[in-house]
Amino acid sequence: MEFRDYYKVLGVERAATADQIKAAYRRLARKFHPDVSKEPNAEARFKEMQEAYEVLKDPEKRAAYDELGANWKAGEQFRPPPDWGSGFEFSGGAGRPGGARFRAGRGRSGTGAAPDGASAEQDFSDFFSSLFGGGTPFGRGGGGAGRDHHARVGIDLEEAYRGTTRTLELRRPEVKPDGSVELRTHTVRVTIPPGVTEGQLIRLAGQGAAASGAGQAGDLYLEVHLQPHRLFQLEGRDVTLTFPVAPWEAALGSSVTVPTLGGSVDMHIPAGAQSGQKLRLRGRGLPGAPAGDQYVQLKVVLPPANSPQAKALYEEMRSKLDFDPRAQQAR
Amino acid sequence: MVRVTHRLEARVLGEGDWIAASEICQLCWLDPGAVMELAELGVVAPRETPPGEWQIAATALPRLRVIGRLMRDLGVNVSGAALALELLEGRRELERRIRTLELLVSDH
Repeated sequence: MEFRDYYKVLGVERAATADQIKAAYRRLARKFHPDVSKEPNAEARFKEMQEAYEVLKDPEKRAAYDELGANWKAGEQFRPPPDWGSGFEFSGGAGRPGGARFRAGRGRSGTGAAPDGASAEQDFSDFFSSLFGGGTPFGRGGGGAGRDHHARVGIDLEEAYRGTTRTLELRRPEVKPDGSVELRTHTVRVTIPPGVTEGQLIRLAGQGAAASGAGQAGDLYLEVHLQPHRLFQLEGRDVTLTFPVAPWEAALGSSVTVPTLGGSVDMHIPAGAQSGQKLRLRGRGLPGAPAGDQYVQLKVVLPPANSPQAKALYEEMRSKLDFDPRAQQAR
Repeated sequence: MVRVTHRLEARVLGEGDWIAASEICQLCWLDPGAVMELAELGVVAPRETPPGEWQIAATALPRLRVIGRLMRDLGVNVSGAALALELLEGRRELERRIRTLELLVSDH
């Protein structure tokens, strides 16, 4: 496990005051917040900041962290000292043990699980957990009930259209009959039904943190995020495709084959269609009640005048067609 | 380390689902006062059923969770978070339109 320099993460001196730390966190949080930021790796950077701030804003945790000394460098291999934690008592949410940690991957076939696709909010690093215990600061709270866990899951548009699966690995500490604690890995295969949309929430009942007593286990919530698509643009459940056509297809009308999320379909282009015109394929967007539509935006592409024949055809159009593309401007 | 495998059917919270306001508060890191303020601002439209118990459509969850995160992580108040949400949605719509126009005029 690598040492994390929380002061460096927030860009403050080790002697920084609580106000300076708070100001640094607020400034960086505004820049890297995943809901706001366009920065690359914003989500990962924001998690680092949250973790650093969780430690440095808390006098107890900060004192304990400072006790490790200033000799560690970020990225150095680190193991907590054997007497770590003596003399400190961590209070507050994030220091509580018992949190689940997540690893996730995609797997339609049920085989591999590339570690991509889901990430847990407030899921702090192993470095943090080794010092302060696992867990997340936000949850159900009170009554002995287990805390809810939240994670983001990224899927592509085709997966949203036809449904998909994700494999999550949840590592949970569990108490054995002899009283010792064992780390148990639960592999959870989640079936995501067709038609999920951006930001939608998926509940996995009872897959959050275990209850402290006889209470109910928390739930795991997956927040869906749809990856940008090479061809299709999404708006709600509707998708838009920019579709190149030849001038004669637009002018004379034509039957063309158009890609949709569910496969290719035939579509009729009416005679006299213009570049930028949108045609609707009803119900060809994301499934739902009602299903979204697919809009096909025509893009008339001119053939290059790069041969004698092509030039002759353009010359013929110029001489025989009574056409002024700027007629409306002249009014 | 012990490995246990489960297969779970996910429950999507979506159209047609109504969620108790108290549960919305948990799911979106909001307190009841903030939810009431968001209702006054027109961000959510709660329904009272049965009398005295408020519910909110699950379709509002994505927007409310963004508001909850902005309030929790950036320290903005309810009005500020609601305004930020609208601006973010406006930016996303403009980006989408720009992308559509770019595709229309590009060579590819």
